[in-house]
Amino acid sequence: MTNFFMTDRRDAIKALLAISAAGALSACLEGPADSGGSTTVSSAPTLSASEMALVSALAQTIIPKTETAGAIEAVVPATIQSLFTEWADDNYRTYWRAGLDKLEKHFVRSGGQPFAKMTASQQSNLLGKYDTQAFAENGFDDFYKSLKSTVATAYYMSEPGASEELAYESVPGEWRGCVPLSEFPKTWAT
Amino acid sequence: MGNLDMADFDVIVIGSGMSGGWVAKEMCEKGFKVCVIERGREIVPEKDYTDFEETWEHEHLNWKSEQTKSEYPIQSEVYAFHNYTKQFWVKDNEHPYEVPDGQRYRWRRGHHTGGRSIMWGRQTYRFSEIDFEANKKDGHGVDWPVRYADIKPWYDYVERFAGISGSMEGLDIVPDGVFQPPHDLTCAELDLKKRIEEKFPGRKLIPGRVANLTQPTEEQIALGRSVCQARNHCFRGCSYGAYFSSNSATLPAAKRTGNLTMIHDLAVHELDYDPETKRVTGIKGVNTKTNEGVSITARTVFLNASTIPTAMILLNSKSDAMPNGLANSSGQVGRNLMDHIICGRASGRLPGNEDKYYYGRRPNGIYIPRFRNHTEEGEGFVRGFGFQGWGMRENWQRGSGKAGIGEDFKARNRVPGAWSIGLVGFAEILPNFDNHVRLHQTKTDKWGFPIPILDAKHGPNEIALVRQAAKDGQDMLRQAGCVDVTGADPETDIGSPPGDGIHEMGTARMGRDAKTSVLNKFNQSWDVPNLFISDGSFMTSGGCQNPSITYMAFSARAADHAAKLMKAGEI
Repeated sequence: MTNFFMTDRRDAIKALLAISAAGALSACLEGPADSGGSTTVSSAPTLSASEMALVSALAQTIIPKTETAGAIEAVVPATIQSLFTEWADDNYRTYWRAGLDKLEKHFVRSGGQPFAKMTASQQSNLLGKYDTQAFAENGFDDFYKSLKSTVATAYYMSEPGASEELAYESVPGEWRGCVPLSEFPKTWAT
Repeated sequence: MGNLDMADFDVIVIGSGMSGGWVAKEMCEKGFKVCVIERGREIVPEKDYTDFEETWEHEHLNWKSEQTKSEYPIQSEVYAFHNYTKQFWVKDNEHPYEVPDGQRYRWRRGHHTGGRSIMWGRQTYRFSEIDFEANKKDGHGVDWPVRYADIKPWYDYVERFAGISGSMEGLDIVPDGVFQPPHDLTCAELDLKKRIEEKFPGRKLIPGRVANLTQPTEEQIALGRSVCQARNHCFRGCSYGAYFSSNSATLPAAKRTGNLTMIHDLAVHELDYDPETKRVTGIKGVNTKTNEGVSITARTVFLNASTIPTAMILLNSKSDAMPNGLANSSGQVGRNLMDHIICGRASGRLPGNEDKYYYGRRPNGIYIPRFRNHTEEGEGFVRGFGFQGWGMRENWQRGSGKAGIGEDFKARNRVPGAWSIGLVGFAEILPNFDNHVRLHQTKTDKWGFPIPILDAKHGPNEIALVRQAAKDGQDMLRQAGCVDVTGADPETDIGSPPGDGIHEMGTARMGRDAKTSVLNKFNQSWDVPNLFISDGSFMTSGGCQNPSITYMAFSARAADHAAKLMKAGEI
């Protein structure tokens, strides 16, 4: 029953993402002029080295290594690559490629070079601004929100994300309904 | 009766799920040679259970691919369907059915040992006198041929064996039972309970009653079952046998008698009927792997194929003597198809208890038993709905939908979020002759069995219940002090489509006479005395309670009756 709700909520989030994905996709198909006309979106089922560099840099900036593992240590980029190659369909791939392309163009425009080549502080500064705007302004960049959600999911479902950053018990052994937070101060991963 | 003495088995049980498992156990324990026929494959726990798969071992973040969704368009919508539980659901493209234009029916099922008893939600609420009297009082359907007092000892009997966790509450609408200790409420749920019960004196919030062992008995331990480990992975199959399923409980009990023969991959297509003796003599079916035809004979047949297939098998068992299908002199076979409507979703946040949390993953939630047309009036409708729900803290998922990156993002998700409250109603569907299962005239599945047409719609009473549930759910949360309350629209909500509750019932109802019902009060066919049906199809009305425990109680009772008749030589 609890599952019922949790899954439901997860599905609701996914449904939202799917809707925004479809919207963004059709926008992109209708308006190829947006991409400057110079880039052909590749249909290869694997993210290229430069796409992966961007994904890794974004993931690392969203979830950096601190005293605990970050997205890189939690192999988030590889998880995304395997989603892309093994799980995604062509729509999803096109959506990601177009979204990544748009993000990279934005960062080249605002920071003068590909996002992955920037210093960590420049990345965090520029992405911080972009992130704020994406969540403040409806329809600003739904792909980015989807990417961020994917990065977070891949991170918190990874072994370090679930069991070190958050709290995870494979076999709790018992249920205790009401305990002091001080006893279990970290979010349960699941 | 000479040919029956030569029968292959004393008893054939068609279906190994929730109810068939019980019949098998009871009849084997009474010394009969029993053959359980399962149309699906054999479940091998070591291979099929995925309860030890860690979060980080899930394939592709447990997201369903487009390919999976296209193979399982109907099954994949179920809360218990995941990449790691696909093995428990039928591929929709291999098991087609149709619905009339403009209608929906969501039929969810699995073909394997134990049927849906592996994936069930395990919520367990007895029917009460109020439910057994309902049809007679408001005139819908026919009167149940039993009352609570007839069934109470059988509820006790099956609960003791199955193992139900719950609290004694003294409520007439969901009677107390034989319970193992209840699951604690969370701190927020305790608050919610106090506030709802203060604001609404006719309402109660109780811990969910669930078929998970919290204090196993010696009998349960002897079957290899053990205490629930609070993992909440139940629908993956449980290696601890900690929740009730045919696989963990009834089939092992049947097996240890030495009287059980279990046959898998055999789809029963019809029952053989001898018009001279007025008895069924056995089954005809098809081995789904080899397409080979198979006949098996028995003295007595129990049909526990689940509500829709049970009706299909009866309708397909036509003979000169029974041209409308077997055991269908009443014309009620396939009729009165019911379910529960999922409706009245409401959610919000409950301030307070920020310094409190919980430990473990409870395979359960809270329950607010029906109050409409009971402790409170219902305007413009009969019957009612109950609410299931939960009060848990938001987890990391809340972070990914908000602004923020870097260290701040991590820090925020590392602590639990607000107490989030959710309610979802389960509303009763009235028995209605028009809601029915029929066989397609020309289309068959790949084994030559006619596919069903599932023809069911919500009527005005159902929609009125759905709207009231939407109103009551949100209102209750607001009155209890929740904030950010949202939910189903009380003006427009139509609830879930038929089938979505996964509680199909009613297609071979029991009643007080052979003219208006298919079964007598012992789940025995009026027309064919050695045919018993004790899956959900016997249900004369649906209540709003999760029905499995009621199937179990009636199955054990029907088996007891059949055994007496068999020993007396009457069948």
